[in-house]
Amino acid sequence: MIQSTSTKTFQYDAKRRVTVDRAGLFLGFLLLLTLPLMVQSNGYILQVFTHALLLASLALAWNLLGVSGSISLGHAAFFGVGAYGSALLSLEQGLSPWLTIPIAGLFATGLGLMVGLICLRLRGAYFALATLAFVEIPRVITGNWDALTRGSLGLVGISGLPTLRMGDWHVDFGSSITASYYLVFVYSLVLLGLVTFVFRSNMGLALQAIREEEIAAEAVGIHVNRYRLSSLLMSAFFTGISGACYAHLVRYIEPGLVYGLHFSAIPMIFAICGGRFTILGPAVAALVLYPVDQFIFHPLLPAGHEFLYGAVLILTVLFMPNGFWWRLRNA
Amino acid sequence: MEVAERIVILLQLKSLNKTFNNFCALSNIDFSVSEGEIVGLVGPNGAGKTTLFNLICGRYRPSSGNILFKGIDITDLKPHAICRLGISRTFQSSRPFPRMSTLDNVLVGHIFGKGFSLHTRPEDREMARELLEIVGIAHKAETLADQLTLSEQRRLDLARALATRPKLLLLDEVAAGFSPILVKQAIQLINRVRERGVSLLIIDHFLNLSLKVSDRLLALDHGEKIAEGPPHMVMRNRDVLQAYLGLRHQDEEED
Repeated sequence: MIQSTSTKTFQYDAKRRVTVDRAGLFLGFLLLLTLPLMVQSNGYILQVFTHALLLASLALAWNLLGVSGSISLGHAAFFGVGAYGSALLSLEQGLSPWLTIPIAGLFATGLGLMVGLICLRLRGAYFALATLAFVEIPRVITGNWDALTRGSLGLVGISGLPTLRMGDWHVDFGSSITASYYLVFVYSLVLLGLVTFVFRSNMGLALQAIREEEIAAEAVGIHVNRYRLSSLLMSAFFTGISGACYAHLVRYIEPGLVYGLHFSAIPMIFAICGGRFTILGPAVAALVLYPVDQFIFHPLLPAGHEFLYGAVLILTVLFMPNGFWWRLRNA
Repeated sequence: MEVAERIVILLQLKSLNKTFNNFCALSNIDFSVSEGEIVGLVGPNGAGKTTLFNLICGRYRPSSGNILFKGIDITDLKPHAICRLGISRTFQSSRPFPRMSTLDNVLVGHIFGKGFSLHTRPEDREMARELLEIVGIAHKAETLADQLTLSEQRRLDLARALATRPKLLLLDEVAAGFSPILVKQAIQLINRVRERGVSLLIIDHFLNLSLKVSDRLLALDHGEKIAEGPPHMVMRNRDVLQAYLGLRHQDEEED
């Protein structure tokens, strides 16, 4: 859907790519690891970065599908199902979030299967529009099934992030923002590792080929629909997990929030700005743009601070259609 | 006594029809390609040559008729499955994976052409590089495919198709618009492909290739088979001349 219009030619420089990726990974890891020390566990700053990390995981998960060339505008469906799934299971059944979070991921995968069977025959803008419309289904159900979901009132008093016990030693991830921060950090790292594995494996090669030229891809033996569906299911699963983490982190959810356009648009914006064809790009964009939004634009423009995302998206599409991380790696 | 040569039929088309909304693109095509053979598919614009390719490769499904490959009915198979059985193709306007390196383009063909493995082994890359050498663009291995010239993209298309290890290779206008020197290189390349034990079906609208390399020609016009046989015979066939040059008017005057 979004094609490079830039006429500047880029050399394929494997060395530069590796250098940029390693530098970014190393710096990012170090900064994020030591952030609680640097800011002396300043609650507000850590809260913003916890959220940024969660959004980074969302962008990474979105890009598992995005790399195959499909642009989804409906990931809030998976996010919301994940959030409600985990929140309800822990509220109603009293299950530990360690259990409910992955189960919620499976719920989202189930929804992903439905989306896949119905929408994956579509391409480009048609696929994007279909996913945009699809969000309404779980949103309306959640908003009206009062007996189960308490409808538009939302859910309050959701249990916090769980406690990890190993013998006598234990960490309560819900007890302090620093602990929550590290849990989300570890989750994002694990997801990053997984995305790296998928992108570098031959499955990643197949997804790229499908994105670049689908007809040629099937002509050289790639089972196009199977790969597109698998990438959608993986993407839905991790988006569901991120939604579940969000529910236990914020401890309050309502349909308009978790199924809102915000959670559909934001991973797409981060992925496109950072670079859909890169592993790190979407995560880097989330970790840069969200804090900039919260620390700089939010105080300046409390009502319209999100214009930042629109502006950055437009500038990216105009001047670096492949994203800034891609540009850094290939300049 | 020794049997001179056992002819094994590789591809068989049985009364193949294809219509698009009442437009008959191909009607009643019966044809076969034997193992080791090079067949040229000729005919004027709109004769149905590329449609025939799309039917064989599974992009289109025939309206009626059957396609057999190595005795297996592949009429209803999907393109990826047909590729895995051993039919590979190039495209009329080449379709590289533009934002992937030339080497990766070929690698995709090598890895998925016959199945799936989770990781690329060094020998897979070696194979891909070898194919780039065969088609003469090894020095561009690390270039993004959309930066290749038109002739290099055609070579890349060919290398990627060969990477799937086909038994039958379908070439769609490989040499269209080529200069005489490039055509010569293309002929050498095709002979090298044949030496690897691959049969070829070559669409060649301008006849700059197939007359020199084909064992046999199949001529189509308006979706019908009008001639079949050795190149020099087919080229003298009245219907073929008529299709290409429009001699009907002249004939009528002679009567």
